[in-house]
Amino acid sequence: MPDQQRQPEGHVGSLVISALFVIMGIVALYDTTGYYDRDSQVFPRTVALLMILTAGLSLVTRFLHPRESGGFGTGTWWRRVLLILAMFAASLAIPHIGFLASGAIAFAGGLIAAMHDRWTVTTAALYAGSGAAVMIAFFALFRYVLHVPLP
Amino acid sequence: MEFGHFLSALTPFNLVLALFGVVAGTIVGSIPGLTATMALAVLVPITFSMDPASALILLGAIYTGAIYGGAYAAILLNTPGTPSAIATTFDGYPMAKRGDGDLAVALACFASVVGGLVGAFALLLLAPPLSKVALAFGPIEYFWLSIFGLSLIASLSTGNLMKGLAGGAFGMLLSTVGVAEVSADIRLTFGSQMLVGGFGVIGALIGLYCIPVLIDLVATPDRHLKVEEDVRSVRIGEAFRIAARSKFNLIRSSVIGTLIGILPGAGGSVAGLVAYSEAKRSARPDQKFGQGEPDGILATESANNATVGGGFIPTLVLGIPGTPPDAIVLGALLVQGVRTGPTMFSQSGSIVYTFIYGLLIATVLMLPAGLLIGRYAYKSIVNIPKAVLVPTVGFMTIIGTFSIRNSVTDVILMLGLGVFGWVVGRFGFAASPIVLGLILGPIAEQGFVQGWTIGSATGNLFGMFFGRPISQGIIAFTLLSLFLPLYAAWRLRKKPQEQG
Repeated sequence: MPDQQRQPEGHVGSLVISALFVIMGIVALYDTTGYYDRDSQVFPRTVALLMILTAGLSLVTRFLHPRESGGFGTGTWWRRVLLILAMFAASLAIPHIGFLASGAIAFAGGLIAAMHDRWTVTTAALYAGSGAAVMIAFFALFRYVLHVPLP
Repeated sequence: MEFGHFLSALTPFNLVLALFGVVAGTIVGSIPGLTATMALAVLVPITFSMDPASALILLGAIYTGAIYGGAYAAILLNTPGTPSAIATTFDGYPMAKRGDGDLAVALACFASVVGGLVGAFALLLLAPPLSKVALAFGPIEYFWLSIFGLSLIASLSTGNLMKGLAGGAFGMLLSTVGVAEVSADIRLTFGSQMLVGGFGVIGALIGLYCIPVLIDLVATPDRHLKVEEDVRSVRIGEAFRIAARSKFNLIRSSVIGTLIGILPGAGGSVAGLVAYSEAKRSARPDQKFGQGEPDGILATESANNATVGGGFIPTLVLGIPGTPPDAIVLGALLVQGVRTGPTMFSQSGSIVYTFIYGLLIATVLMLPAGLLIGRYAYKSIVNIPKAVLVPTVGFMTIIGTFSIRNSVTDVILMLGLGVFGWVVGRFGFAASPIVLGLILGPIAEQGFVQGWTIGSATGNLFGMFFGRPISQGIIAFTLLSLFLPLYAAWRLRKKPQEQG
């Protein structure tokens, strides 16, 4: 579970997330009105009501007793965004360019995002080489040993 | 149960199979996305040419090794290698972060061996009577068992109970996305084809536990795990002393694991969560569960490995497979021409008892093999540069999630859920209640709807839900789990006032 760090955005963020859960509960509750069978309705409806109630209580409590806990913490945003974008881009590219090439996109993005030391030719070659070896090994394991139909 | 069966299990060929199975299972289980089911399914064909007892020994060893292997990724990467290791992350990763990852790995190994032995001995000595437990559990008992598992949210959400409950409810809602099992309605897809298949549990686990860790790791230059300078290998002696001190927790969790293993459909994840809940409920005041408490790892790992032996009880005695791996073993037995059922222990005694002794031997072999692999895994994870570790784990999350259902959609959902989990986690909505809801939601829904239908048809809805003895027992434990921590907190608050 992530550490709770004291950040100025903690109070507002907590209110926003609680409100988001309430909204998701309301949307789910609305969705249940379109089901044909009562058996499919009863459980999601109960759970959606529970979510609205608990997230709503959290929202009210937080509103009445503001606390500056929680928040995104310190750290470089472009690294987080690069990692996420690289992984999403790789996933979307799988059907088009295959698993290994897509994996290379994810790996390169992750490598750049996680590299905090100074780049040298040696580290670049070493890390890229070890990345290629890891990806090929896993690709071979899944495709040829476990018979997973990787594109 | 003759001594001859024990000697049959001890042939060099069977010993090699047991060792190979444990090692292969441990390695497969340690990779997020690769499950015990997948390992067994892949290796089943090579058992067709073996005699039935040897085939069973190999499959049992792979199964038990895979359940244990799930602990490595849970402890070192905060990603359960298998769903059985969910609760191992609660204390395993905090231990690894503070520099005790080597100790946590050794504790997991000791606990897995103890749990595996208790489960295997239950299979050896008590299989026929214990199999009746499986038959005594109806839909309502499953419903209450899942509610008991969900009561763990209360103890996982200290100071944030409402957020924990909202997270649990969100997880249960996620479990309903897609085609409803009870009536085939399409639920919560909002017209999107992507969501019709629902959220796969493994993908969701990987997303909710692993992606937030990766996002946090790349943001700062800090080391991924703290390393003590003077520690160079797995701390076996220290782990043994802690395990010996917590023998009651180990035995209780192993018994819980065995009993839950007997219940078809429950499995190692439920067993681990229930055992963790019980360990936390009966903890000493100085024990801080969720912050790197060794007893949390001991409880989870002993319980999930005990489900292996427990799960074989209904599989062999009743022909009812408790979990997907059990179903594969059952299928392998049928291919071999072995008929399972109440008479199996008398008619095919040589096969069954040789297998059970083989399972015991494989579990014992897991101790040296597990500690050795654990030492290697720990050193590798600690020494690998973060710049290589992050993209490697990222690649593993993609390939592991894809391989479950050969679906790119699952990978995208996994990533989306991971980012969502990271954002809400920063504001007190932890991942664990969401995962609990996701895993226990389908069990709760099925039990609830079936119980409700039966109760309505018989005109005794109240009796159906609250009148059955096993249900009443589980309800009592649930209430204890929910209110004992509150009572303890109230007592603690009251004490200083009385003294003042």
